[in-house]
Amino acid sequence: MSAWTDIILVSLILTTFWLLGSSRLASCIRICAIQGVATGLLGVVGGGITIRVAAISLAIIVLKGLTFPWLLSRALRESNTSHEVQPFVGYVASLLIGVLVLAFSFWADSRLPSLAHGASRLVVPVAFALLIAGLFLIVARKTAVNQVIGYLVMENGIYTFGFGVVREIPALVELGVLMDVFVAVFVMGIAIYRINRTFDHIDSDQLTLLKG
Amino acid sequence: MLTAGWMLPALVAAPAVLAGLSLLARTPRAALWVGAVATTVIALVAGCAVAQVFMHGPLECVGGWFFLDALSAYHLAILMLVFVFCGFFAIVYFREEIANGVFTRKLARRYQALWFGSFAAMNLVLVSNNLGVMWVGVEATTLLSAFLICIHVSPAALEAMWKYLLMCSVGVALAFAGILLLAAASSASLSGHDALLWTRLMNPSVTLNPVLVKVAFIFLVVGFGTKAGLAPLHSWLPDAHSQSPAPVSAMFSGFLLNTALYCILRCLPIVEAATGNRGWGREILVVLGILSILVAAVFIVAQHDVKRLLAYHSVEHLGIIALGVGLGGLGVWAALFHTLNHSVCKATSFFGAGMLGQTYGTHDMRRMTDVARVSPVWGTSLIGSLLALIGIAPFALFISEFLILKAALNEKAYLAAALFLTGLGIVFIGALGHAISMAWKPPATAPRPLRTHHAEALLAWTPLALLLLLGLWIPAPLRALITQAAAVLGVTP
Repeated sequence: MSAWTDIILVSLILTTFWLLGSSRLASCIRICAIQGVATGLLGVVGGGITIRVAAISLAIIVLKGLTFPWLLSRALRESNTSHEVQPFVGYVASLLIGVLVLAFSFWADSRLPSLAHGASRLVVPVAFALLIAGLFLIVARKTAVNQVIGYLVMENGIYTFGFGVVREIPALVELGVLMDVFVAVFVMGIAIYRINRTFDHIDSDQLTLLKG
Repeated sequence: MLTAGWMLPALVAAPAVLAGLSLLARTPRAALWVGAVATTVIALVAGCAVAQVFMHGPLECVGGWFFLDALSAYHLAILMLVFVFCGFFAIVYFREEIANGVFTRKLARRYQALWFGSFAAMNLVLVSNNLGVMWVGVEATTLLSAFLICIHVSPAALEAMWKYLLMCSVGVALAFAGILLLAAASSASLSGHDALLWTRLMNPSVTLNPVLVKVAFIFLVVGFGTKAGLAPLHSWLPDAHSQSPAPVSAMFSGFLLNTALYCILRCLPIVEAATGNRGWGREILVVLGILSILVAAVFIVAQHDVKRLLAYHSVEHLGIIALGVGLGGLGVWAALFHTLNHSVCKATSFFGAGMLGQTYGTHDMRRMTDVARVSPVWGTSLIGSLLALIGIAPFALFISEFLILKAALNEKAYLAAALFLTGLGIVFIGALGHAISMAWKPPATAPRPLRTHHAEALLAWTPLALLLLLGLWIPAPLRALITQAAAVLGVTP
């Protein structure tokens, strides 16, 4: 049981590194989908499968694995920008920062009192690493699509954290959170579409009309 | 319990249903009128709930999912006041745009639906007992209000919306990590569902792990602080406030920011109790508060756009509220009083700025001169509210700022008091300069005078009269309600 959890946690980290080093937006979206499915599986392999757990995991897999990638790739197809990631921070540097983030997460976890309730000792460091790496992706990449991907990585980190740390989040809350994330990505998708129509690009670093 | 309890879910459900119904409005005017009247009715229901809490103590219902105590009831009352004002103002503001055919039926439906949606989400934040549900509400306010910024699509509005959407979503996501940590901190004494309930967490017999609570609070302050516009996380705020239509700016500034700050305030007594009441959490708020005041002061001096000026005033005043709560003692009472004053005042000033902006066709203060002649109603209202915002004497904002200063001296926080005064001084001089030139500088080109109904004067001056009244005399029930709210924050006078 714990072995499966560990495998999924490691795959979460690996997909994050993959994202940090990928140069094409289309593949970033695909990697993000894989990570979303892995996050969804976390709940299923973690313990006794109840209907509640199964339903929420299924919702996560459908949303993060199918709906979001579809929304994002549609936004990408309709935009006429280059389909490269256009990083502020280069790929090698990004990967190195990823390694530092991971090391920091393990260090931070060792400083905190034991949080995880026996699911796996990797849960908290992995969650922290995803959270920080997601933030990094948001700041270090130029296109709006990539910022949404960064947001999703963060969100996966937070879900992992909740899975490992809080024993029982009420189903209503979990569904509410999931719905908010869904609407967030949906709204961001529409925003990207409109930005593209008005500006002819989706590079958020060129959104510089408002200052001071 | 049954008689009073139904009101809390109704406060969320009614606007949510109305949001759907707004999509069926036949004309733009009808949509706005229904919005204003329905908001007033909901406000009356909320008023009953607030009175109930005030007289009989906290309400709890539907298996503990909904909860209203003095702190949230007080915030709910302010929320209602702001929304009723904004609802009626929207009718005035969009009148010209409707006549010009800019504000079409499609836009009006979308506007009103999103307006009610944001209203429902903010109510949800205030009445929910479960931190998770509260978080869902905060995030929903971001998502629903994002499109209100760019009701009229322009490149600047889209940019503002994107910044708002991304910064607040990311910030609020961090706050969720904070909520999970808080739940984890309580895992020794609370289990399952209980770990996320305010009513359980506030119970003094619950022991929380101090280290985890500290980490949680940092996440919560960074997360909700972004949404509340506390410096240095405020960079989305001036853009969003300046690009939205005036009723939306007024609502953002008047209460959206306070919703997020409310979430931080709620956590404060829990954090303080867990860390041994040594003022660890309060200090963070003092530092952020002073930083916000000083940062805002610098930008206020150099500002030319009146709506951006008001937006930086929001950063300043949210900073003042955070500072007051951080100081503790009398400061908490004063900060809560300041919340009311700021919300009312800021809504009014955005009304004036919006109406004059329509007349002049710009928000540049260098071209918006001689405002009192162009519009005796909205010009005087804008100048009056600007003066109130910088703390001119008889207005209530002066009283609350003075009380916060007194609290700082009481607590022997002399450095904080000095920095607070410096910030207020810079703001005073900077904004007074802007106000004087807007009021008296002869205009380069005289715009056509703005025609106003008599009813508009009521909307423009009532809030100012209220602030003047509160500056001179605070009614006993209000005083008592604020005292009760301060008691929730762990301060007994």
